[in-house]
Amino acid sequence: MKEKVDRSINRIDAPEKTGGYAEYIADMKFEGMLYAKTLRSEKPRAVIKSIDIPLLPEGCYVVDKNDIPGKNRVKMLLDDQPFFAEDIVNYIGEPILLVVGPDREQVAQVLSNIRVLYEEMEPVFTIVDAVKCDKASIYGEDNCFSGYEIIRGDPDRAFREAAEAIEGEYRTGLQEHIYLEPQGVIGVYENERVTVYGSMQCPYYIKTALVQGFGWDEERIRVVQTTTGGAFGGKEEYTSIIAGHAAFAAVKTGRPVRLIFDRAEDIICTTKRHPSIIKIKTALDKNRKITAMEVEITLDGGAYAGLSPVVLQRAMFAATGVYNIPNIKVKGRVFATNNVPSGAMRGFGGPQAFFAIEMHMQSLAESISRDPLDFKMENMLSKGDLTVTGGVLRYEVKLPQMIDLVEKMSGYRRKYEAFINDRGEVPKGIGLSIFYHGCAFTGSGEKEKIRARVKLKKRKDGKVLILVASVEMGQGSSTTLRKIVARAMDLPVEDVIYENPDTDIVPDSGPTVASRTVMIVGFLLKKAAERLKAGGEKAADFKVTEACEGPAELEVTEEYEEPGYIKWGHEKFEGDAYPTYSWGVNVVEVEVDPVTFVIKVNGIWGVYDIGTIIDERIIRGQMEGGIAQGLGYAAFEVMNTDCGNILQPSLADYIIPNSKEFPEMEIRLIDNPYEYGPFGAKGAGELPFIGAAPALASAVQNALKVPIKRLPVTPEYLLKVAEGEK
Amino acid sequence: MVRTYRPQSFQEALEIKKGAPVITIAGGTDLMVKRRRSTGLSPYFEVPAMFIAHLGEIKGVRFDGGNIRIGAACSFAVLLQNEATPPILKTAVSRIASPAVRNMGTIGGNICNASPAGDTLPVLYARDASVVLKSIDQERILKISEFITAPGETVLREDELLKEIVIPEKPFDVNFYRKVGTGMTNTISKITFTGIAEILNGMVKDIRITFGAVAPTVVRSRVNEERLIGHSGKEIEKMIPEISSLYSALINPIDDQRSNAFYRRSVSLRLLGHFLRALPGC
Amino acid sequence: MKISFVLNGRDVLLDTDPLRRLLDVLRDEFNLTGVKEGCGEGECGACSVLVNDKIMYSCILPVGSVDGSRVLTIEGYRETERYKVLQEAFTEAGSVQCGFCTPGFIMAAEALLSEDASPDEKSIREAISGNLCRCTGYSMIVDGIKIASRKGRGLW
Repeated sequence: MKEKVDRSINRIDAPEKTGGYAEYIADMKFEGMLYAKTLRSEKPRAVIKSIDIPLLPEGCYVVDKNDIPGKNRVKMLLDDQPFFAEDIVNYIGEPILLVVGPDREQVAQVLSNIRVLYEEMEPVFTIVDAVKCDKASIYGEDNCFSGYEIIRGDPDRAFREAAEAIEGEYRTGLQEHIYLEPQGVIGVYENERVTVYGSMQCPYYIKTALVQGFGWDEERIRVVQTTTGGAFGGKEEYTSIIAGHAAFAAVKTGRPVRLIFDRAEDIICTTKRHPSIIKIKTALDKNRKITAMEVEITLDGGAYAGLSPVVLQRAMFAATGVYNIPNIKVKGRVFATNNVPSGAMRGFGGPQAFFAIEMHMQSLAESISRDPLDFKMENMLSKGDLTVTGGVLRYEVKLPQMIDLVEKMSGYRRKYEAFINDRGEVPKGIGLSIFYHGCAFTGSGEKEKIRARVKLKKRKDGKVLILVASVEMGQGSSTTLRKIVARAMDLPVEDVIYENPDTDIVPDSGPTVASRTVMIVGFLLKKAAERLKAGGEKAADFKVTEACEGPAELEVTEEYEEPGYIKWGHEKFEGDAYPTYSWGVNVVEVEVDPVTFVIKVNGIWGVYDIGTIIDERIIRGQMEGGIAQGLGYAAFEVMNTDCGNILQPSLADYIIPNSKEFPEMEIRLIDNPYEYGPFGAKGAGELPFIGAAPALASAVQNALKVPIKRLPVTPEYLLKVAEGEK
Repeated sequence: MVRTYRPQSFQEALEIKKGAPVITIAGGTDLMVKRRRSTGLSPYFEVPAMFIAHLGEIKGVRFDGGNIRIGAACSFAVLLQNEATPPILKTAVSRIASPAVRNMGTIGGNICNASPAGDTLPVLYARDASVVLKSIDQERILKISEFITAPGETVLREDELLKEIVIPEKPFDVNFYRKVGTGMTNTISKITFTGIAEILNGMVKDIRITFGAVAPTVVRSRVNEERLIGHSGKEIEKMIPEISSLYSALINPIDDQRSNAFYRRSVSLRLLGHFLRALPGC
Repeated sequence: MKISFVLNGRDVLLDTDPLRRLLDVLRDEFNLTGVKEGCGEGECGACSVLVNDKIMYSCILPVGSVDGSRVLTIEGYRETERYKVLQEAFTEAGSVQCGFCTPGFIMAAEALLSEDASPDEKSIREAISGNLCRCTGYSMIVDGIKIASRKGRGLW
């Protein structure tokens, strides 16, 4: 009998990373390489009247909007963001030009001697002001990048007939990714072709952005991912901007150009998690059953749209959480402000929505004297129920078993009761969150937007090469994908080769985002592997790198086919918002210092349904890391702005969790195979992040007996809330 | 590139100091951050720099006739290991930054940096520490509260170096130190509170209370402390509102990127109340 | 200024600005790129090296202050038996994800184990508290050090 697929194997990339052998972008050197630094806007909103550039020393260049041969717009959803500012700047840190030269000292000198004359315009910094729109609009006529509405059933009638309606407003703040490796790229121009090497999640996004920026044939553009030191969504869309910068500079100078950020620069100008204001109103009938829910989500998109419309959609599709609500109205809008653009980050709108709905359900239950967990479970979705968008949950929802298990692990119910009645000196609390994550792209996005392709090649020596655009960024895909192919072909994993993607070699299997890599790309690889094992097609010789060149024998290409059951109407957001869902239950136990209101986490338990696990150890790493990042978001990752300036632009002031912060976590995974995932696997990477903040906030609510409505739950906020209660 | 000096002795360091203005680098953990530029560039120094952390003469900790004498270039890690270091100072030092910074940073640097959030300062103020300032011509001894005058400012003259810190040896029965910051490590203090007391026959014989990071310099008031001396814990408990309002008048916190004035003030006073309530006999 | 120190067991002498960050000297002059820059301000520990066996941040250490000292980077350390044990333990425990922080953690682990060959969980968490990891949540790194301490008995 074969051993189970989930049995952990050693990560393929561990030894080279541990020993410092792995080459990250900052470790690469090219003959004649120049250094680039970016001149950034110092104003949140202004017209650039003039730019005074001193006489440049020999070998030094300035690269700006005039050096962009194609369209000066970064290819994204609304195409509103320029690579380099034209006549207007919209946020502090917006790139205006690059100074490029052989000597870093000289580049710094030139940069500090450039004078920009600005004519300031009235900026907009808050969601509330953006909605008001009483200053010149930043985007369109009303500052609104996107707005949508979902209506299911007859919510208006349900509210008219309700016995009571309970409301809450929830707010969340910025979060910075803090991938340990700052953003960086190197552009190289040779033989009429430009190549960008860099730390990234989406080689083909960058390629597409460069095609538009240069206006060249795509054959002239090549993107190569280098070992990537963490990303978490931060290297999804943002990297296209700096890839453009380095590429334009390489073409202008004819030399390789290196553009790598320091941490402060990275924090100031890269994307962040969207701040949100979410209002939830719930209608109850006279038996105190939920009859309807109305949710209004407003996000701060920052100065440019980026991926904001899709982040908003994901937040809306999570608006009513794991609950079965008969009548629903969800309104969502994302607004432009003169803050740094918000963008993709692990969870992608889900964390904001789940914080709001979970806190709302807890407060709602407590306000009608019901046990929150009982109340949640009575209203929980199960197989056959409808999602927010009216999609049918086709697969078993194992939440009841998962809650049972987490209860056994954590003693949640007993502790909740004990703590709610406890008036001891040190307030203690326990919180439980229930959540999901829709796997892969929204709706028919996998079919219509991406249509992923993967390729396998078999060499004469029997080794099999994986050719996909999915990157290894720490999450373990280089090991997981090899394992899938090896298992499908009955090969030892050592015989399956995966190298960092190079767009000259790999087909477009889509971006490494949305918890889609294993489920979508992995499934295609498994199908390809099965076909290859059965014969495959004849292949030409090929060369990837020295290590894996060789005469090829066979190859197989596989393209995404949408499972027949997916029905999606994008205009009205009707049907299956995602192919399937991963589920989670998270419990956090805390105590709150009665003097300082500092939160101490005393216990963390999580149970997750991610289908079948491909590698237990990698998944444990994803779950624990996701929880830690989520608890940082929940408790102390404070990022404030003052007139568009980020007040915490360093790791001294923006504090992420360290080794002493949290106790050991207890994680369990339950098996619930998905028929269109490899060996039954679903998405995993984002899920654990989502439940952490509501679990912690609920625990604090249990401890202090005051409703928690803000993230992060700082001691400053708790003091204010506690004083307010007196 | 500025000139740099690496003297071979403390005496030579003083001679260099006498000659021209120099910036003294001990552990460098603050200077190298404040003056940093981007990758590949040396930090910005407008005048010559002088390294002193290698000078053995100013690195030790020792008992000396009723005092504890700590060399200015003594690293936090050495302070933590040395038996002569007062336990409350060890408590404060153990919460400074991280193991790496504690191996690099020095107590002298923490003092001369004169940050309102310097973590050793509230303990040194509470323990009546003095600083020994040396120039080639003379030696001065000042109380630490006289030495530090404002954020980042001291009365150190251009030709002087901080040689050592002198702490009177005196046992205290109650030693309470709290650092409030975001996270457990590598965090800059929002508030530090130090409360130490000597108790005799149920009465407070001596008491010292200091607050860090809530005013331009460390807050300490001997007048307020003297109000508490001679009282029992029970009596003190009743005095808490009065004492709190006296300290509230002295602390003057700000809103910044780490916290806000409201929190700093309230929690400082809550820590004060917590400390006073926990005195024996309360 | 002429600065001499022992780098990974070899005497080195260079004439440079003593205020340069040791990190830049290691990466640019000696091509020791296993020493990473994650923050440049002594917060993340990706640039950790051992100076006279003590862990320090090379991003805030002026090279002038290591004159006469012994400096050990991951490139020197990876040639040792102790490293081999740690590397295998880190792999076994799943301590490595994106890997950018990992060499720094290895140096922190060596600094700890050379002082305490059988550290408890609390000491491990303290010893690595100056090294940030955004991927793992730390427990799997703690496990790696525990495994190394067990399997490397006698080496430290």
